Amino acid sequence: MTMLRVRDMTVRFGGIVALDGISLDLNRGEILGLIGPNGAGKTTLFNCISGVIHPDRGSIFFEGHSLVYAPPHVRARFGIARTFQNLQLWGSMTVEENLVVPMDALGRRNTFSDALYLPFSTYAERASRERARAILHVLELDRHARTLAADLPAGIQRRVEIARALAMRPRLLLLDEPAAGLDAQETARLAELLHAVRQRFHVSMLLVDHDMSLVLRVCDYVYVLDFGKLLARGQPSAIRSDPKVIAAYLGEESKQSTGETTTVVAAPKQAAPLLEVKQVAAGYGGLEVIRDVSLQVRPGEVVACIGANGAGKTTTLRAISGMIHPRRGRVMFAGIEVTGRTAERISKLGLIHIPEGRGLFPRLTVEDTLRLVSNTAGHEVDITPAFQLFPKLRERRRQLVGTLSGGEQQMVAMARAILSRPRLVMIDEMSQGLAPSVVRQLFEIIRVFRDEGIAVLLVEQFVESALDVADRAYVFEHGSIVLSGAAVDLRSDRKLVAGSYLGTAVETPAMAAADGNGHRVDPALMEIVSVRVPAKVKRALEQRAEAEGRPTGAVAIELLEKVDRQ
Amino acid sequence: MTSRLMVRVLVTLVAFAVLARIPVGFDVGFKFDSGLAVIWAFGLLSLVLLTGYVGQISLCQATFAGVGAYAAGMMTATFHVDYIVAVAVGVAAAFALGIIVGLPALRLHGITLAIVTLGIALVFDRYVFQDHAFEWFTGGTGGWSVREASMFGLQMDSSKHLMAAYVVLLALFCLVGLLMVNLHDSGAGRRFRAIRDSELAAATMGVDLIRYKLLAFGMSAAIAGLGGAFYPLVAGNVSPQPFWLFTSLQFAAIAVLMGVRYVPAAALGGAFMAFVPDVLTRFGHGSLFGHQYEISYDWFQIAVGVLLIVQLIALPDGVWGDLRHRVGHARSTVGALGGRRVKVA
Ligand SMILES: Nc1ncnc2c1ncn2[C@@H]1O[C@H](COP(=O)(O)OP(=O)(O)OP(=O)(O)O)[C@@H](O)[C@H]1O
Ligand SMILES: [Mg+2]
Repeated sequence: MTMLRVRDMTVRFGGIVALDGISLDLNRGEILGLIGPNGAGKTTLFNCISGVIHPDRGSIFFEGHSLVYAPPHVRARFGIARTFQNLQLWGSMTVEENLVVPMDALGRRNTFSDALYLPFSTYAERASRERARAILHVLELDRHARTLAADLPAGIQRRVEIARALAMRPRLLLLDEPAAGLDAQETARLAELLHAVRQRFHVSMLLVDHDMSLVLRVCDYVYVLDFGKLLARGQPSAIRSDPKVIAAYLGEESKQSTGETTTVVAAPKQAAPLLEVKQVAAGYGGLEVIRDVSLQVRPGEVVACIGANGAGKTTTLRAISGMIHPRRGRVMFAGIEVTGRTAERISKLGLIHIPEGRGLFPRLTVEDTLRLVSNTAGHEVDITPAFQLFPKLRERRRQLVGTLSGGEQQMVAMARAILSRPRLVMIDEMSQGLAPSVVRQLFEIIRVFRDEGIAVLLVEQFVESALDVADRAYVFEHGSIVLSGAAVDLRSDRKLVAGSYLGTAVETPAMAAADGNGHRVDPALMEIVSVRVPAKVKRALEQRAEAEGRPTGAVAIELLEKVDRQ
Repeated sequence: MTSRLMVRVLVTLVAFAVLARIPVGFDVGFKFDSGLAVIWAFGLLSLVLLTGYVGQISLCQATFAGVGAYAAGMMTATFHVDYIVAVAVGVAAAFALGIIVGLPALRLHGITLAIVTLGIALVFDRYVFQDHAFEWFTGGTGGWSVREASMFGLQMDSSKHLMAAYVVLLALFCLVGLLMVNLHDSGAGRRFRAIRDSELAAATMGVDLIRYKLLAFGMSAAIAGLGGAFYPLVAGNVSPQPFWLFTSLQFAAIAVLMGVRYVPAAALGGAFMAFVPDVLTRFGHGSLFGHQYEISYDWFQIAVGVLLIVQLIALPDGVWGDLRHRVGHARSTVGALGGRRVKVA
């Protein structure tokens, strides 16, 4: 049964053809993968399906309805939900409110009855909140329910995006890079979650991601785009070995072994540290996110920070580069104390920070962004090396940065940092949003950095690759460093790392299932989320949950299990 | 939830009781200022909805108030209706204009929207309020003067019964303000705020942008118009001057100064706009060290500009907003001292 039928979709932006006659079919209950190099047009296709932009040509049918003239909110009512590659949560609302909005927007509530707190509205409100809490429980977001969405780390915001989309009870879910910034174990868990969601909610999905382990694990069928055209399509296994796809997107597997030999030689142990962080604590508002963090980076050394989402890696980088003030402790760079200096003054010393949000100016063109480097450097800088590194950017040099695809923006941020020839680069989530072949290329560039004496402090979701290229690594957990050492040791000591802190790539789906046990999505709970329970039962559940101080969902599961056993 | 509502109602009642008594015993000028303060507070409140909640920019709020004032003036002066009917007509006229102004906002954002609304303010200021073609609406160059007016049968014309008008106006403001605070936390308010935070996400999550943006403009205009509709009653006449372009700009500046997201900030701003210039002109002259000096109205404009710059640096969320944060912060620090520790995610 075809659910979504896209025909001959064409989108042009000025001279750029972002989509060129794409046709695609999605069956009911299917998870369809959509992959392709950066700027291939994946997000653009999502925008067409969700109604955010209008194609120049082409048609879309959803369950037999033509969608060409339907505005976005009507498509939402048909049951099409999406997430965004560049996070679009409502930052000033709590996570729970973020989930409630789509629920009652679709419920066609009345503005005046809402403002007057009429019983009808109050009742609907309570029902929505309850459902929101159940969904949050399923996605393990309970404890963030009352946090403002803007205050969450990016990885968790991404999960909230999925939760919000599920709150719409969608029939088709468009996921734009849900695994960006997730490490291997979190990705494995996400894969399971998507399977469970499909089973319980009968949701079909269209999935865009650059993490092939996710795409191969969850997708039934894969479309590959390149330059807005269909490059290939087929079963995941066939796609992985398709020479065309390898050439355009995946890239050749590099020889892993070479990394090890160079690693040991490089770092001159005796050199005085370039960056020295001593017992730093930092946080936001009333919250202390990192404490007692101490680390060192020597000249020409590559150091990786690893740890689960929300462990405090991003905050550490921010505290070092002056984006936030450390509350305690000291930061020394090149022998100068920089604690509490402004980010601008620190960057003048040769410490460049590429933040998670990339820190670009959307209204500048690519070329102007790169030219700005001359300004900070104080002398004219030749920008052609940037284009040699990322040929894609040369074609886009006059385009506004804000309109670039997510991956292209990441390239600009990297290029800008490289051009300024820093003494230390700190890169937050370097490979986020980049095609596998580009990621591989970037790891090569990091090797080049080291050879030229530039130090690198890296936060990276692909732990394996990061440990391959790094000399040393620090492992973060709950806001402190719990382990550090030479990357070689950590790599061979993988059990240690895997067991307690991260978990490395899970090779097979079977292993994934065994591994993620504690985080299995509970089918019973999903049932509760999707089925209406009589108000009386709900209230009883609520009271009991409150008395025992546990989430309502947990109590419900327990009861259901009892019923099952009897 | 309901207990929160009770607290709000209580706070509103207390605020009303206190504010209603303030002008008692002062001279007519002060009473007039009080009435004017509430009228301006309505104008600022309309921006709390439009800019604070929905994130839309408008530089023609005084125009909406003016339309409300002229419509109400016309109704009493030519048709001699009960004043409450005149107010209703004024509000309806402003609402309709608000919807029309909202149409370009469906497409425009930021600076371009600001310029379009500024253009609308200019057109009304220069042409509609001062043009012969619209004499039926504006009452000619002299404007409408309201000598006899009654509301619900009560005598309410300006000079003698200024207090009565003030109390009715204040009661309405408290009511609308309470509704606005409720709206903020309600479902509809969340949909408005969703548009402010990310229009893209709001649309794809089922919020009908056209409907909600037009509704926001209409409601905002109606609120401004409600205040404006009382102007003829308080001042005894209507003229274009109070509703000219510059008042619109002042609304925007003072709304930001006081905190554009907060209802009480609107009241604060209204008082500021009405009293400060008057106090300046009343007491702002004399001699100092033998030199004569005089502070004119122009000084007020300059003061607003300087305060705005200071505020943007020191109190980014507006005077009221930052006050609230400080109090909230102090409270949580005290709570933390009580031994409760925040567990870090
Ligand atoms: N508003 C716009 N104006 C001009 N060009 C645009 C605009 N939006 C997108 N593009 C271009 O269209 C192309 C396709 O962009 P799209 O965002 O669909 O890529 P993508 O496949 O999602 O890439 P990524 O994997 O990097 O996210 C890109 O080259 C981008 O620069
Ligand atoms: Mg994309």
